[in-house]
Amino acid sequence: MSEKPILEGINLKKTYQLARLKVPVLHGASVKIQSGDWTTILGSSGSGKSTLLHLFGGLDRPDKDGGDVLFKGDSVWSRSNRQINRYRNTDIGFVFQFYHLLPELTMFENTLLPTMLVHSKNSIKENKNRAKLLLEQFGLGHRLSHKPRELSGGERQRAAIARALVNEPAVLLADEPTGNLDEETGNEILDVLSELHSNGLTVVMVTHNEVIANRGNNVVRLRSGQIVGSATLAHSS
Amino acid sequence: MYQTLLTTRYLTSRVIPLIAVAAVALCVALVIVVVSVMTGFLDMVQSAGRTLMGDVIISYGISGLPHYEDLQVKLEENPNILGTTPIVDGWGLLRMPYPDSKAKQSETVQVWGIVPESFAKVTDFSDSLQWETPTENQRDWLLHDAITTNANEIQLLMSDDKWNTFVELINKASSTLNFAEANLWEDVQAIVTSEQWQSILSYDERLKSPEKLRAQGLSLSRNGKAGIISGLHVSDGNERQRDGTYKVIRNDYWWLPRFEGTLTMLPVDTQGGIIEPESIIMPFVNEFQSGVFMIDESRIFVPIATAQSLLHLDEAEIIDLDDPTMVLGIDPARATSILIRGIPGISAIELKEIVSVIYDNFRANMPTDTLVFPPSQSDPGLSINTWEDQQRSFTGPVEKERELMRTLFSIVYLVVAALILSIFWSIVFEKTRDIGILRSIGASRAGIVWIFLQYSLVIGIIGSLLGLLVGWTITKNINSIHEAMGNPPLAIAISSFAIASAVAIYTFIKGRTGMMLPIVLGSIGFITFAGIGALILFIRQIGGLVIWDASVYYFAIIPNNVDWPSAIVTVCGAILFCALGALIPSAKAADTDPVKALRHE
Repeated sequence: MSEKPILEGINLKKTYQLARLKVPVLHGASVKIQSGDWTTILGSSGSGKSTLLHLFGGLDRPDKDGGDVLFKGDSVWSRSNRQINRYRNTDIGFVFQFYHLLPELTMFENTLLPTMLVHSKNSIKENKNRAKLLLEQFGLGHRLSHKPRELSGGERQRAAIARALVNEPAVLLADEPTGNLDEETGNEILDVLSELHSNGLTVVMVTHNEVIANRGNNVVRLRSGQIVGSATLAHSS
Repeated sequence: MYQTLLTTRYLTSRVIPLIAVAAVALCVALVIVVVSVMTGFLDMVQSAGRTLMGDVIISYGISGLPHYEDLQVKLEENPNILGTTPIVDGWGLLRMPYPDSKAKQSETVQVWGIVPESFAKVTDFSDSLQWETPTENQRDWLLHDAITTNANEIQLLMSDDKWNTFVELINKASSTLNFAEANLWEDVQAIVTSEQWQSILSYDERLKSPEKLRAQGLSLSRNGKAGIISGLHVSDGNERQRDGTYKVIRNDYWWLPRFEGTLTMLPVDTQGGIIEPESIIMPFVNEFQSGVFMIDESRIFVPIATAQSLLHLDEAEIIDLDDPTMVLGIDPARATSILIRGIPGISAIELKEIVSVIYDNFRANMPTDTLVFPPSQSDPGLSINTWEDQQRSFTGPVEKERELMRTLFSIVYLVVAALILSIFWSIVFEKTRDIGILRSIGASRAGIVWIFLQYSLVIGIIGSLLGLLVGWTITKNINSIHEAMGNPPLAIAISSFAIASAVAIYTFIKGRTGMMLPIVLGSIGFITFAGIGALILFIRQIGGLVIWDASVYYFAIIPNNVDWPSAIVTVCGAILFCALGALIPSAKAADTDPVKALRHE
């Protein structure tokens, strides 16, 4: 594949400081994410898969001399704070295992929130329409003015996906999006991701579950902070 | 914009902001009330000292200053001096009209012989007089007194039949007037002819023209006779009411201007030995209230001539000790002090310098044939002081108290600041995960800090303004609150017990479900309300709570003016501490990596 990857991790290293103990999590992982792919990063607990996603999403900084993340070929981690804020807000959409919606805001406000953080290229009205449209698309049209605590886990996760997509990001990063849900609800979420992917969105999803990993068309295996394999799956869809 | 949205939601969807507002309000109110009362107290001490004794005082022991009138003339020539007045100051015994039995009570009094006209110019004497015109009741007493004193003359004016009816009416009034309202004024008029009425009224000028009551006070005399004005707390007959007014006990029976008193003073000769004391019977013409309890309970005013004669400070002949028939000259009348008031804008210290120079010039330019010279300034007995120096023994302890209060209050302020800081610290700490979420979707650090700054400013401003309102209300009504504490209404005790019982029943019913919160809250509520009720009953049992004892704090009322400079500083300080309390932890949280903040539970 000679095409330039949309997101690329080059020799990523990350060490956590736990009290006096240095815990290396990533030992030079290099991953390429091609535009339009649904890449799943598969690994057991502590393999560094979430950390890898955080580095991609601009949420966590690699070690000094610990490699870099390239977005559309440009370095992410050499950007200014302001540019990193914009990257988190606009270029990337992030979905967490525990939804991470703000409890005091309604579903609609939670979804709209990213458009309010950075000066948006769209008008307020356009943003509102998009947020509403996304929620309706995910079957939450009747939940606009509900608070997160009034909703089920699946509904919350769908709202979290809507929030991640409201600024039309180039890549959706999902960290164990089904990890906190039962199998049936988890499948619904995966169906949503699948649909988004088939509409052309680049998706990177982290999971420890082999079956879920196979929903993607590209699986990267991570073990003890290192990439141990990569496979392209042929899907019937 | 998203900050405003979040601030609004944080403020409206939780209980914590309400608790924070209440905490800030209580702290602000507490500081405002205490500082206002303390500052008001000091102001009252200072202004009382000044209004009662002018700006500068020249005094010369108990032997007195000779030629004081000439000195006054010299002083008043100076454009910086508004007025001067001489005082003869000494201690005496005042035999009071009460009780009813023959053995009358005597009060120790500080006698000030004054010249009322100039005294009113230098001090606030004319504003301090208690009685303007007699009340209807007091007028009935005056009428009663006029009739009983002049019964023999009145009898001659009317027929025997009429006289008998008249005597019956007066006797009835004598026995009932001291506990019930009577219409003696109208009843007497109904019996007598208008001619007789006019002659009865003429026995006391206060009956014909009620405003004479005040006029007699201002001139310190009645019917040409020197009178006494006594401090309001000298007489045991005056009782302070809840609203701060005074009522005379036994339905105005012991109203002092009805009576005469006997004043005895101890004179001292030029060698400092004690001379045979002299007494004089004088009518009480009025009473005064300076507001300073220590003065109101012991000071009386009499005309200066009376005090001079009782103390042997009046004009006298100087005789040859070898030949008592030889008169060598005249020893002039003396005053123990001269009070001096400066024009507005001049400080007491500046005025003291001016007075000192005038005094020296005055003494240097005395005629050479003067027999009795005023003392020189090197005489330790002579002092020229500002009112502050003069009142040092009085204001000194209060100033020390102020220093102490300032020190204590800087500690109270720190406690309040620490409290506000810790409230906001915990509020922000609780929101750490939200901060992580906001950072992960692209919020800037400054944006995060601004959310909490807005939040704390809203709480700080609402809380401290509420505190200001509460503090202002308490300060303004502090005297009624204090009175209510002195005699708490039984209704409050009863309603407290009623609420306590209701809470107890509610707790019992709710408690059967096994839920802990209703049991805990119910128990606290029950103990609180039952406690309030029991406390009120206890206070009533011990006869009321008096925290502000006028005999300890000098003043009959608690100062109730808000000290605005301190109040504004307190309000601004509270808002500032709220802002700091939110800024520090939110800045810290905003600097945390989003991933770490998200893991926060």
